[in-house]
Amino acid sequence: MLHFRIPYLILSSCLLASTWILPGCTPAHKQMQNPGSTGSAVDINLLQKFKPAFTVALYNTTVEVAGNHLSGLLLIKKMPDSSTRMVFSNEMGFTFFDFEFAADGTFKVYSIIKKMNKRSVIKTLQHDFELVLMNRLEYSKASVNTNEGLTYFIFPQTRGFNYYITNQSGEELVRMERSTGKKTVVEAIMKNYIAGIPDTIGITHKTFEFTIGLKRIER
Amino acid sequence: MHKIILVILFLASGLMSEAQYPGYSPVNDMAKFKTTFTAASQKTTSVKADFTQDKNLSMLSEKITSRGNFWFKKDSRVRMEYNQPFKYLMILNRDKVYIKDGQKESRVSTRSNKMFQQINKIMVDCMQGTMLNNTDFKTMIFENRNSSLVELTPVTKAMKELFRSINVIIDKKDFSVTSIQMLELSGDNTIMRFTNKELNAALPDTLFDIK
Repeated sequence: MLHFRIPYLILSSCLLASTWILPGCTPAHKQMQNPGSTGSAVDINLLQKFKPAFTVALYNTTVEVAGNHLSGLLLIKKMPDSSTRMVFSNEMGFTFFDFEFAADGTFKVYSIIKKMNKRSVIKTLQHDFELVLMNRLEYSKASVNTNEGLTYFIFPQTRGFNYYITNQSGEELVRMERSTGKKTVVEAIMKNYIAGIPDTIGITHKTFEFTIGLKRIER
Repeated sequence: MHKIILVILFLASGLMSEAQYPGYSPVNDMAKFKTTFTAASQKTTSVKADFTQDKNLSMLSEKITSRGNFWFKKDSRVRMEYNQPFKYLMILNRDKVYIKDGQKESRVSTRSNKMFQQINKIMVDCMQGTMLNNTDFKTMIFENRNSSLVELTPVTKAMKELFRSINVIIDKKDFSVTSIQMLELSGDNTIMRFTNKELNAALPDTLFDIK
């Protein structure tokens, strides 16, 4: 019995490691190369220029979730204490949620309607917006790899990784991904930056039907 | 001694009302107001107006302003068309709701969607003058020289989760709604102000069609 259990435990550990620890083992990024090894090192700090420089921005918002359509307005504001507040309301002004992403990486829910007040919903929204805000990235732990003409900036998270994928030179942000290490769970885009603020933001979940589309509104 | 305390309490309650809504004092004869208001509202068969909506985010010191056109026709038909700074159309036709945001169209039954049911009821009640009969709210009425303020405080659990109160300002001249103020639990509020009002204009039924 013990003989069967040990290989099984090793296999489980490897699977666990490949899921949460080793990005190199992930099927999607098996072919990645460290650009340093090809003599064309990419500075990881290149990514900083894609971090949205929100002052205050209002977005027309559409949400598709499990066959349901929802629309409204998302206000994003950088507060004097450097935290970022996000308030989502419907067109008639009724607030769905009010979140705070503090400068130190902490997260606070100021208000949320009862229907959305579930741990899983809040966690999903928190992680989705953190991917876009780029506010919890530890550059000291990050790595850069290349694959098929794209540059991957890889940031380990508590669970899984955030990938910021640019063109080879790092001048254009192609997409962002949140991954368990085994598979991509969220894909996102940020496009058409004006004064450091993206005009278009899209977040798509790959494991269930949930998309968020943001289009900036001129006020 | 008891009489003195009662007089002080009475005066204090009057002062508190003044403080709550500056310039307004409480209406003591609610029954009379209700009779007059209901009678006047019954004469209103349609309303056409422009509106400006301000959502005030108190903690963020931000205001989101939007503008559009509003139509109401008896019974229970409302069309709201937001034009600035975004396009959004909502038609309430009895128990059906039609929404167009951007290119996306949706049709909802208020029977299956509680939030739309409540929005529908509040909006129609305000226009039809039946808000004083809405058992979801406790009603207080205040007035000044030109207008009456109807304060609707939720009493049902469902409404308490959505609003702290809804205040409706009514023009004393024609008993039409001048503004609706929705106060949320967070302290944020949304004020919808109606201007260029036309009462009893001929409005085609097609404005409220839900195909």
